[in-house]
Amino acid sequence: MKKSILAASLTAAVLAQVPAAQALTIGYATHHFDDKFSTILRNGSQAYAESLGHEMIQVDAQLDVGRQLDQVRNFIANGVDALIIQAVDSTAAGPMSKMAAEAGVPTVFVNRKPTPLESMADGQAYVASNEVESGTYQTYQMCLQLRAEGKSGGARGYLLVGDLASEAAVQRTIDAEQVVQLDMCNFMEIIGKETAMWQRNEAQDLMTNWLSTGEDFDFVIANNDEMALGAIQAMKAAGISMDDVVVGGVDATDDALAAMRGGDLDVTVFQNAKAQGEGAIDAVLKLVNGESVPREYYVPFELITPEILKTHPELSK
Amino acid sequence: MSSTTHGLGGLKYDPKKRHRPPELNVFVALVAIVALFEVLGRMFVGDSFLFNTRDKVDTLFNEQRLKIIILQVSIIGIIALGVTQVIISGGIDLSSGSIVGGVAMITTAFAQSALNEYGMENVKPILGAEWLDLPIIVPLAIGLSVGLLAGIINGLLIAKFKIPPFIVTLGMMLFMRGVATFVTKGRPISFLQEDYVAIGTGMNPVFIFIGIAIIMHFLLKYTKYGKHTYAIGSNEQAARMSGINVDRLKVLIYAIAGMLSAVAAIVMSSKALTGQAGMGLMYELDAIAMAVIGGTSLAGGRGSILGTCLGALIFGVIISGFTFMRLDAFYQEMAKGIIIVAAVILDQWRAQKQAAKA
Repeated sequence: MKKSILAASLTAAVLAQVPAAQALTIGYATHHFDDKFSTILRNGSQAYAESLGHEMIQVDAQLDVGRQLDQVRNFIANGVDALIIQAVDSTAAGPMSKMAAEAGVPTVFVNRKPTPLESMADGQAYVASNEVESGTYQTYQMCLQLRAEGKSGGARGYLLVGDLASEAAVQRTIDAEQVVQLDMCNFMEIIGKETAMWQRNEAQDLMTNWLSTGEDFDFVIANNDEMALGAIQAMKAAGISMDDVVVGGVDATDDALAAMRGGDLDVTVFQNAKAQGEGAIDAVLKLVNGESVPREYYVPFELITPEILKTHPELSK
Repeated sequence: MSSTTHGLGGLKYDPKKRHRPPELNVFVALVAIVALFEVLGRMFVGDSFLFNTRDKVDTLFNEQRLKIIILQVSIIGIIALGVTQVIISGGIDLSSGSIVGGVAMITTAFAQSALNEYGMENVKPILGAEWLDLPIIVPLAIGLSVGLLAGIINGLLIAKFKIPPFIVTLGMMLFMRGVATFVTKGRPISFLQEDYVAIGTGMNPVFIFIGIAIIMHFLLKYTKYGKHTYAIGSNEQAARMSGINVDRLKVLIYAIAGMLSAVAAIVMSSKALTGQAGMGLMYELDAIAMAVIGGTSLAGGRGSILGTCLGALIFGVIISGFTFMRLDAFYQEMAKGIIIVAAVILDQWRAQKQAAKA
């Protein structure tokens, strides 16, 4: 393992034509290779690291906290110059942080926040987007749109929640519930709130169950785009016009953007995975050079509506 | 069978001692759960679970709810039909959920269209532009073959190499989940062609489920295949001695189970308009649970397709009932867990009582 890392870093140094003294080997521990968002994140991170002449080695914890701990231990034992960790579980980041700090390896946590933040050792950094923004942007924009449609006399709707074991689902749900308490948005009433485990298929069935209650409604808030799309498919199958319902998701996936261009999805929020990946590299390089880095660095979420989508630099393609 | 029960070994035929079909108990449980939701609904929600209380439409029942009750379990139900015969034969199949994921990804990769439902152009075809808009038979044949092949491999390893079904299908479960993520490195597949999407629209999943259930019921109840399946599940040695080709039968049983998982994959990806690597996650356990609630014994030799269909309906009623009661999903999971264990306890209690009577 050590030999191969050394060989890899040497090859990288030669290929990249940079002074060998600056070429670093960065260990990147991801929580799961299959996750689409994380794929963009780590690929963005790797491309950026390589463009700067550094080598990045990726390992996959397959959602296993114990496995990730061993992988980080392995990285340290094999003498990587820096570590980027996307923790499997935000509350399990502490031991990895401590291990890296004791070995003196500069470390950045990306996307998943060590909880509590005090469990992250001094001199380490956390790069992510703040979930407080995602659900708030989404629900507030839906509130504005419902108002613009003249529904401020009262609007009813449903909230599709992601996997409750994940921090994002919990935070986005809190965001939505806080927005509908604002004086400006308290005409919105959430009449049903259930989890569909982030899945399109489950959201489809849940929405059909809600439709069977016969309640009138004006909006559907979903913690992610996949569930928003499932709800849209269920409503269209029941013959409901998408002009009559305001639907919002989070993630700005390809399918969601297609549905937005097609006039079905009204609101989504873009989490810039590539920017997070590059931010993590920037932060870890500064740590290696002994520069000071803020403990928390947030890449902003971006609100996407059909209007914004038309001119968005990355998504309008 | 019925003719041999008369006057053998001094035993008299006593209609009181005739076995009550176990499905009847499952059916009673189903009716009881529905009645419970009806009563609770009227007490706490002020609405009826079963009946139509809206003035807009002119029907006696809440048809939309009855439809979703069965629609939401028909996909796992299709898997459960295959799993039922595997369990009756004394085996187990843990690979069905992962086969759904693998087949969904492979099939949808071949079922892509140049345009999506909004008329937008498919700029990133998975297999390249020349593989778009193939005749619908191509993705279907490929998908079903993959499921069939996975099932045959399961069966061969179990029958020829005498590896326990738990281990073999556990291996296949991991392998097929790997295949599912390998196809596109985890990227979801969309832009599915219209013919393919038509398979899972509306109530089609239910019709497919019922159609397959009828075929499987007939197969298990009235053919040599079915009788031999019960025989090897009751006593494999005795079945082998009496001349049943146990190995060939096992391969066939797992092959059918694998193919039904593939059918479920096709219906599911077509219904959701997408192929995703995470599809079918943990479905194997729900499918086994449906069979067990329906009276299929994990010891083998006992169970029926009718029972599994009723087991699936109980699942559907619980899901819809909890949404109707506005209770969150974790209560659903708790209820499902309790019902599975309760079903087995009741089943064993009944078996003991019957043994004591005889």
